[in-house]
Amino acid sequence: MRFALIGNPGVGKSTIFNQLTGLGVEVNRYPGSSVAIETGNVCYKKEKFEVIDLPGIYSLDGNTDEEVLVRGFLEKGDADALIAVLDATRLERNLYLLLQVSEYQVPMIIIVNKMDEAERSGHSIDTGRLSGLLGVEVIGVAAMQGRNVDRIIPAALGTARPATVRTPYDHHIEAALTSLEKTLSTPRHKNLLALQGVSQDPLLSDTAGSIAREIEQRHRMSVHQIIATNRHNHSRALAADVVAIGERKRSFDVDSLLTRTMPGIPILVATLGFMLLSVFIIGSWMERIIVSAFTNGVITPFVSLGLPPLAAQVGLSLLVALQAGLGIAFPFVFTFYVGLSLLEDSGYMTRAAFLADRAMHRIGLHGEAIIPMVIGFGCTVPAVMSVRILKTRREQTIAAFLITMVPCSARTVVIAGIVAAFVGILWAFSIYLIVFVLIVISALFLSRITPGEQFGMIVEMTPLRCPQARLVLAKSWLRIKEFLFIAMPVLIITSIALGLFQYFEIIDAFQAIVEPLTTSLLGLPAYASTALLFGIFRKELAFETLAVLAGTANLGSVMNGVQLYTFAIISVLFVPCVSTIAVLYRNLGARIAVLASLYSLGLGIFIGALINFLMK
Amino acid sequence: MEPSFREDLLEAICLLTRDSQRSPGIREIASAVDKPEGEIQSGVTTLAADGDVILGNAGTVTLTATGQELGNRVAKKHETLQCFLSEILGMDRSSASDEACVLEHAVSDDTINRIGTYMQSPPRRWRMGQGEAGQDASPLPALTDFNEGDDLIVSGILGRERASRLLDLGVVPGERVRIKRKLANHALVVQVKGCDVALSPEVAASICVERSG
Repeated sequence: MRFALIGNPGVGKSTIFNQLTGLGVEVNRYPGSSVAIETGNVCYKKEKFEVIDLPGIYSLDGNTDEEVLVRGFLEKGDADALIAVLDATRLERNLYLLLQVSEYQVPMIIIVNKMDEAERSGHSIDTGRLSGLLGVEVIGVAAMQGRNVDRIIPAALGTARPATVRTPYDHHIEAALTSLEKTLSTPRHKNLLALQGVSQDPLLSDTAGSIAREIEQRHRMSVHQIIATNRHNHSRALAADVVAIGERKRSFDVDSLLTRTMPGIPILVATLGFMLLSVFIIGSWMERIIVSAFTNGVITPFVSLGLPPLAAQVGLSLLVALQAGLGIAFPFVFTFYVGLSLLEDSGYMTRAAFLADRAMHRIGLHGEAIIPMVIGFGCTVPAVMSVRILKTRREQTIAAFLITMVPCSARTVVIAGIVAAFVGILWAFSIYLIVFVLIVISALFLSRITPGEQFGMIVEMTPLRCPQARLVLAKSWLRIKEFLFIAMPVLIITSIALGLFQYFEIIDAFQAIVEPLTTSLLGLPAYASTALLFGIFRKELAFETLAVLAGTANLGSVMNGVQLYTFAIISVLFVPCVSTIAVLYRNLGARIAVLASLYSLGLGIFIGALINFLMK
Repeated sequence: MEPSFREDLLEAICLLTRDSQRSPGIREIASAVDKPEGEIQSGVTTLAADGDVILGNAGTVTLTATGQELGNRVAKKHETLQCFLSEILGMDRSSASDEACVLEHAVSDDTINRIGTYMQSPPRRWRMGQGEAGQDASPLPALTDFNEGDDLIVSGILGRERASRLLDLGVVPGERVRIKRKLANHALVVQVKGCDVALSPEVAASICVERSG
């Protein structure tokens, strides 16, 4: 038996999912989709059942990845019963999705979550009456306190049945539905979608399309709008029937601070700054421990084995890749994910998006783009993955380009290790400044040349609440798994390839070929090109390789300040790391991956040459 | 017989004939106009005497050419009014229908024609999927024209593509919204159906509203 949780974003599906399943959660990509869904198991009366947490959606009629996924899931009948989760504090809006889900005639039960919060704000919800109106069992739950969570699985097993509630549509729509059902004998929910222009069946979409045009002519309104209005009106009527609104207690509204320009913007800057700084401090501390433990515990013993040279080289490359993955993933990326999940779960992220909307508009994006940008400070790979939340291809492209330029934690290591240590802390900050100026210039340029339409921000502000440690950790853990899944294979393959290049002395040939460029144009020692090449593999390797090739950790003794500064800025800008290129390719296609790499390569060399030329 | 009763009868017979493709009986007409059968019987007899209908042997009622024309005209008035009240003014469908039932008897042909023309080519703001928000000086104010704390009713949304998420979140014609926050650049937080929704300025400018109450 399989059960699937379905509901709006932020209704507490994850909380319920976590309480039902406990450990052993798996993340899978649904076939043909970029959306990850979580699957877990629950035991009841010594039997094992599968529970699937579908992504939170607002509607089933749209074309976002999540909506398409859930629609496909319902159509295929992949679950034996649905557990529809509603938010007691916003019942009316939640019923809108429920009315759509009901049309699929899948057996289900309904959970009204956050009953405790509704009670606190003086609302009471008559679940028995709601059950009568909808024709399925309704359970009032307070998942945060665990109230009634134990009733969910027994109910899903025992009483799940298709809902009997039916939205009364406008009579033209109803007539169209009846005629489609009669002539093509397609089910009602498919006909509704086809009228709104969503259908794979050519005959149905043709017939429905011409009916829809007629209706639109008559109403001066799109069919989608008419249907949405009918559903909202029906959910309002249902909600009015079951919700008794009591006296709302007035409490201090934190949003009066968070969503105003003053003091909202300073709070935003301080919050993000604090988060990045703590990630950096905690990250570098943890990285030192992990890297030295790995070196002492694994790499040194391996080297002392005395294997044949080729095997030793391949083995060493493999271990270095593992070390790199662990050294960056856990200290920086994981810590960052914890911070990010805190911001998201507390509801602050939506406030940040609202405040950032203005600045983001200037660079051809909108408020929601702040989320991938902030993630980019931690690691570029998940940041590129998260551009999915932007709605148009144009915005995704611009954001992906810019993210590859945002100084991620690995690049911060390079800046700190080379410039702050040997040139000066203010010079290190000047690199950030230069990068930001370049990001803004690139953004202005990209927003002019990138084709496509701009789409504004429409974001539901999730209520502010205290994040739960368990959920934050679970979320960060799932994300880090996804990160390792993408980054690890790429790291290992590249590492072994570079090791082999080194073994067969291809690296030296490369170094000789690009030497004129390195020495005359950039004013760097010849071996710096090899260090930069290693930087493609993992950004802070540029710094480490440079030290190895220079033969000393005291870089200040072999290169002058201008050289160190140039080297740092090139390696910060120069070609995103291989994991980033891989994820760009996966999410946005080969063209964008190649363009973004070439753009940053050109930009890095150009800025490096410019600095060399100006400061020499 | 009351003129309005006469019109109701003709309208009902006209619609029933159109829907079922045959002449309706007294019982069907009675349930359509929601009156007792006796009253319908006497009404239909009067109509037959006036030459608007012909009574069949099996108790069926068939419209004559004059009755057909009058019935059609009333039915069209009803449809036009109901459409205007619900789609343009944002009333809910059932009360729009009830109101149209009363208005259809008093409204002049000229008014109906004018409403029809209006709905065929409404002012620019009503047209779907055309033009960018805020570029035309429209008589209808947009969400961005109001201030924090204002209670408003959505009257329409410009632009079909971007409307989708708005519709999902409950920003549909006829819905009440309240502006909770407005920044200097006209980015807004509106409260709709008890939830706060943040909107970019260009999205807010595409939502036409009017003051409520």
